[in-house]
Amino acid sequence: MRFPTRGVLAVLDKIYYVIMVPMVYAAVSIFVIGVISRSIRIVLAPRQKTTLQIFPVKRPVWFHALVDTFLLPTVRTIRPVMWIFALIFHGALVLLVIGHLELIREIRALQAIPHQVFLGGGLVGLALTVSLLFFLFSRFKTPYREISVPEDYFILLLLMLTVLSGSHMDWAKYLSPAGFDIPVSGYREYLSSLFTLHPGVPAVIAGSPHYVLVALHILFANIFLLFFPFSKIMHTFFALPLNLIRRGGLRGANTAP
Amino acid sequence: MEQTLHHELLTRFDSKLNNVMRMYLDTCARCGVCIQSCHVYASMPELKYTAVYRAEVIRKLFKRYFKAQGRFWPSLGDSANLTDDMVDTIYQTAYSCTGCRRCMVHCPFGIDTQMIMSIAKLLLISAGREPKVLSMLADMSIAKGKSTTETRANFAKAVDQLRDEVLAQWRQAHGEKVVPLEAQDANILYVALAGKHSIVPAAAIMNAAGEEWSLSYYEAVNFGAFVGNAEKTRVIALRIIDEAVRLRVKEVSICECGTAYRVMRHMMGALPFKVTSFIEVIARYLREARIRLARGRIAGRVTYHDPCQLGRNGGVIEDPRFILSYLTDDFIELQPNRAENWCCGGGGGLVAIGEKDFRMRSARVKAEQIKAVSPDIVCTACENCHTQLSDLVGHYKINAGVRFLTDMVAESLQE
Repeated sequence: MRFPTRGVLAVLDKIYYVIMVPMVYAAVSIFVIGVISRSIRIVLAPRQKTTLQIFPVKRPVWFHALVDTFLLPTVRTIRPVMWIFALIFHGALVLLVIGHLELIREIRALQAIPHQVFLGGGLVGLALTVSLLFFLFSRFKTPYREISVPEDYFILLLLMLTVLSGSHMDWAKYLSPAGFDIPVSGYREYLSSLFTLHPGVPAVIAGSPHYVLVALHILFANIFLLFFPFSKIMHTFFALPLNLIRRGGLRGANTAP
Repeated sequence: MEQTLHHELLTRFDSKLNNVMRMYLDTCARCGVCIQSCHVYASMPELKYTAVYRAEVIRKLFKRYFKAQGRFWPSLGDSANLTDDMVDTIYQTAYSCTGCRRCMVHCPFGIDTQMIMSIAKLLLISAGREPKVLSMLADMSIAKGKSTTETRANFAKAVDQLRDEVLAQWRQAHGEKVVPLEAQDANILYVALAGKHSIVPAAAIMNAAGEEWSLSYYEAVNFGAFVGNAEKTRVIALRIIDEAVRLRVKEVSICECGTAYRVMRHMMGALPFKVTSFIEVIARYLREARIRLARGRIAGRVTYHDPCQLGRNGGVIEDPRFILSYLTDDFIELQPNRAENWCCGGGGGLVAIGEKDFRMRSARVKAEQIKAVSPDIVCTACENCHTQLSDLVGHYKINAGVRFLTDMVAESLQE
């Protein structure tokens, strides 16, 4: 007897398709609508009328707010090890986003550093994985364990699953003698079809023995996008304005002395 | 909890959700960078004394009642229901926080725990669970603003009795009026605290500078801010604003009271006059050579405690040090200092409430910070801090005196 049966495989194929196409549209739509509606809600909320800044004022305010947001100087002082992983993690995330954009269409300017798709030759995924492991294990330790809520673990696990399933495809390309049987052109065809609203899963992916891995990667990414607007990950958008407020860059009726 | 009260509390909560508050409540990553920021936690390492815990108490209610996540999947964010027990937790949370905002300096997102605690304090007021002494003091301030005609003559009489004490510090008083009242078109309306210690030195300094000034009829302290009642805070501050407008003064200068300064300077919107701390006025006199100080009259090693509401929350950071450079050659900085300075442990209304046992235990780190520099004088520029530091040096047997900066300046005045 063969398992799974042909009928089960047909059902799985449909499930993979739902994950790869309709669910991607749903996740992206909810992500965009969610982020916009959350932002609109904040913009339409009553305005904070007075300054909430911390002194002394350092000018230019915008520059210091950008430094606070992207270089996390206070984290460096207080939790230096976490600071290293936080910078690696966020830097790797940026490279990852760029890498996925390259999966849609080649970005010629980026070839100033000659590379196959995904800068870093697999190191980006590795950096993310190690950083995520650090963040996860940090939360097992007092007092960080006590301040954590299930959402914190959920996000870390979701990211871990997304990164590991995605990185496997990248790592196999470099580390396996057999390589990876889905070429970049396959991903480009798939993602372009989604963008042009003529969705489909090309045969090079659907016929690959690794289709399940691709589908799982897309599934985790979909869940991440669906969850994003309703979670603390909104700090992606709020970190800069909040740092500006602390620096006195977004003022109310009073001004700095 | 009774349904009507439950509804009322959530309505009040909603009223605090302005644009910045929503971002504060949505953003925390629970990274724990703020854990060590709080002097209470540094002195008594219990989770309930961390900024992140305090904010989470309110955040869990926010998630439960104002976010989709809390409605559909409450356990994910550990959302909490608003119950009587929760109100107890809110009390403990709100009144173990002095609102010093040291955690905000360290938070990678700049989340203001004091702002979040303003929700906690409003909920307590609505539930009738706020410290009654703070509400009572706020009401007394407001009542005084309503019946000035009955007490104005007595106030003038009391002020007149300070004449000799002011002249003892500065003989050549400006004109006849040693402590001028109701002076129209004065340059400065000086707002003191109840008590001559906040009037006499300032009067001597302004007279020495030949200033055209007037003493406010009202005390500077704003108990509305301590109890977290925005409306009472506004009404209390408006008494002074109305007086300043009526007298057409150019500048309102707030005595050594950090909260009063911050409320008037940063929380009352645009005003038709300049608002300064009296420390800034003294520094200006020195820069303009309007007063001269005898260096060395203050004996011993001096250190300076930055009051939170005057320093990192108010912006008056370098002027006190500038003034001290005229008073002594033996000045030593506390470590850390300025925006990083440890709170004295008496803010947020704790001194007014009493809570001495908690105040002493929770400020152990402050006492150690002072001990480390072995000062003879701990100088500060805030009434709350002065009271708390005086209690602290006694409790921890630190051989140092606590003095107001203005008082030290008045003592060092020379012709």
